[in-house]
Amino acid sequence: MADGSYTVLAGGTDFYPARAGGLGGRPPESKVLDITALEGLRGIAEEGDSLRIGALTTWSDLLHAPLPPYFAALKLAAREVGGVQIQNAGTLCGNLCNASPAADGVPPLLALDAEVELASQAGARRLALDDFILGNRQTAKRPDELVTALHIPKLSARARSTFLKLGARKYLVISIVMAALLIDLDDKGNVSKARVAVGSCAARALRLPAVEAALEGRPFDEDLLPRIGDEQLDPLTPIDDIRGTADYRREAAVALLRRGVEALLSQEAA
Amino acid sequence: MPSVSMTVNGRAVTGDVEGRTLLVQFLRENLSLTGTHVGCDTSQCGACVVHVNGESVKSCTMLAVQADGAEVTTIEGLAKDGELHPMQEAFRENHGLQCGFCTPGMVMSAVDLLQKNPNPDEGEIREWLEGNICRCTGYHNIVKAIQTAAASMKG
Ligand SMILES: Cc1cc2nc3c(=O)[nH]c(=O)nc-3n(C[C@H](O)[C@H](O)[C@H](O)COP(=O)(O)OP(=O)(O)OC[C@H]3O[C@@H](n4cnc5c(N)ncnc54)[C@H](O)[C@@H]3O)c2cc1C
Ligand code: FES
Ligand code: FES
Repeated sequence: MADGSYTVLAGGTDFYPARAGGLGGRPPESKVLDITALEGLRGIAEEGDSLRIGALTTWSDLLHAPLPPYFAALKLAAREVGGVQIQNAGTLCGNLCNASPAADGVPPLLALDAEVELASQAGARRLALDDFILGNRQTAKRPDELVTALHIPKLSARARSTFLKLGARKYLVISIVMAALLIDLDDKGNVSKARVAVGSCAARALRLPAVEAALEGRPFDEDLLPRIGDEQLDPLTPIDDIRGTADYRREAAVALLRRGVEALLSQEAA
Repeated sequence: MPSVSMTVNGRAVTGDVEGRTLLVQFLRENLSLTGTHVGCDTSQCGACVVHVNGESVKSCTMLAVQADGAEVTTIEGLAKDGELHPMQEAFRENHGLQCGFCTPGMVMSAVDLLQKNPNPDEGEIREWLEGNICRCTGYHNIVKAIQTAAASMKG
């Protein structure tokens, strides 16, 4: 591990499909380090003013864990990751390390302000998720490092979140656009924090500070909807591909963000 | 070559495998349990679903060495004393298969569903089968079979 020549294996749900060579093909011989027996890396626990999600926590573990309402976006994303067997094996951290621009876990975790904990013989360090994922399949993880956990800062009991994904069909689909929205409210019912992240519209999912600024400090009501506009999408660089054109993606992003605010408003009423 | 030991359908088995051998290959090639199928190389189709320690997994998405020490159940392990498992019986009765290629994985997935949710509604059944693809039936009779099995397993 220390010389960085091993490939780490967690749930394997990105690893196997990427390596199988033909029907029933065996993955090629390479040095693989299976970390799934490290039970200490699995599970979710409170740690001071944050929650720690161990690196081997699977999507199914997350879905079954009792978590505060602002984890709704991440749980909605968990249901999108493959089918049940993929959710039973695949881990949140594997999703981040794989760093696909369409990874469902990334926008919700950006909205949660997640930090990634890394360890190697040289010691441990933490990076904001935004600094961890650098681009399409690129992360700041050195080859000799293991991701050991995610840390999510706690929010008020009023905080809530949602996740929306636009794809060509309902199941097993690579998204065209996806969005995670999280808001916290002050005791007057105004938006004290807004965190908005959009995926599949750039080499990696991105927070949209202009959208966040348009929502923060405002009363939490329908008037927020028209405040979201195309001009706030600046950091995004959507592409034309078989799943949709760049213009379509921009339009869809605005529509999805407005729909997200509507969803948060109706959560509030419930 | 690493040696692996596990319990498959209640029987203790041991074998020498290359490190890169997938669980599905160990089951099919070393143990000749060919009821577990391989339908893709992208972990998508679900023809290879088996139970490992009681949970349904895609056996093409796991190395044999990762199942060392585990309890594995394959489609061959469901029938007891010559009697079909209620889920197999329900697939037969409701014509829940045509070519049968997807069936072992469908049945193993469905058995896991009823372990977790003995009373699934149609929507829950369809959502659960997201990772199991069938080219023939259009799923209608598969859903019906699982509903029948749920009713008969309640006794
Ligand atoms: C049929 C199917 C459907 C899918 N659908 C979706 C979907 O809808 N949305 C989606 O986002 N993804 C989807 N995926 C992709 C995949 O399931 C997820 O990205 C999953 O979360 C990956 O986790 P894993 O534990 O299986 O990763 P692995 O395959 O084990 O690892 C992925 C990569 O991360 C590295 N890695 C993993 N853990 C660590 C660690 N702790 N430290 C250092 N490196 C590490 C590995 O070396 C590897 O390079 C799908 C996959 C399949 C097969
Ligand atoms: S063989 Fe297709 S999912 Fe395993
Ligand atoms: S019965 Fe033929 S694939 Fe399902």
